[in-house]
Amino acid sequence: MRKIWLAGLTFFLAAFLIACGRTTPVRVEDVRVTPVTAADIRRAVSNAGAKAVLVNMWATWCGPCREEFPALVRVAHKYQDEGLKVMLVSADDSTDMAAIRKFLAEQGVDFPAYIKAEKDQPFIDGLDKRWTGALPATFIYDGAGKLCDFWEGSASFNVFEQKVVEALGQQAKPTGGNP
Amino acid sequence: MKRHVFVASLVSTVLAGSAFALSIGDKAPSTSVKMKNVDGREISIADVAGKEGTLVIFSCNHCPFVKAWQGRIASIGNAAKSKGVGVIVINSNDPTSYPEDSFGEMQKRAEQLGFTFPYVVDATSDVARAFGATRTPEAFLFDKDGKLVYHGAIDDSKNADQVTKHYLQDAVDALIAGKEVGTKETKFVGCGIKFRAKG
Repeated sequence: MRKIWLAGLTFFLAAFLIACGRTTPVRVEDVRVTPVTAADIRRAVSNAGAKAVLVNMWATWCGPCREEFPALVRVAHKYQDEGLKVMLVSADDSTDMAAIRKFLAEQGVDFPAYIKAEKDQPFIDGLDKRWTGALPATFIYDGAGKLCDFWEGSASFNVFEQKVVEALGQQAKPTGGNP
Repeated sequence: MKRHVFVASLVSTVLAGSAFALSIGDKAPSTSVKMKNVDGREISIADVAGKEGTLVIFSCNHCPFVKAWQGRIASIGNAAKSKGVGVIVINSNDPTSYPEDSFGEMQKRAEQLGFTFPYVVDATSDVARAFGATRTPEAFLFDKDGKLVYHGAIDDSKNADQVTKHYLQDAVDALIAGKEVGTKETKFVGCGIKFRAKG
């Protein structure tokens, strides 16, 4: 009986935090990070079965990447039921995996994440030739896998939400928490 | 409507540093802009131009990629300078975000690495904007006529022991030998330049 009560409390707490736009804690051991090439990402985008896909290139050592991360996770959670898939791709070295997983756990990333597993030149050109390689970089695709938007540099939650909503072809959802 | 305009302007602000890039064959821009060197003198790109050409590298102190490549930058830069290629390393980052990129720290870094060439402050970030530079370390090599012959990475790996293609060194060697540069443009993942706000 006590277990049921605790499970219920946990569920309502998680629901409350999500509604408030805050992340729920994720255990480091539950964080999944898969090595990918640019071709893997393009395939995943095309086969996502989503209405829109947001791909964000980041790194643990990149200050602007870390600053925009909470907004990315928040938009991922807010629009996941509307058909948004978010792919967070780390450009760190694979030797930095412990730091990557720790950061993702702290940020509440409870969906699959990725790490670049290809040399820079083919990876960059394989994603989009307009990308110079600067981090962070964000690519937004529609449900057919067509690139709708791309930019280098960090963005706010409002920008991510606006771009995602455009790709989803929807209106912005009302939100709890601050913009 | 207001919201769309706001978002559009915000995104354009974010992209302010990356809308343009020099093409191979383009002349070096902003060559007369004076920038403060670590020795206190005001120096322009034109001031350092060599008889064989000029190497301009956008760099900084804090970026882990710069830290990985800085020894190779010192080595290539010092050797190039001794062979008649003018060399200048430019820090266009706003040090507000990263105190490690301050002038005092630049002086220390230049001394530690043994730079025999200027390491200067792009105080408005406008030189980086004129070049279309977006990340660090980003190299631009110009021939003796001031035309761009190589743009991009130092080499093909952040890890010195995994380098298989010495892009910049090969380009400098070709320039000095009077040959056409083989690989003219390369890309790499690097730290975005922390541009100062437009004045």
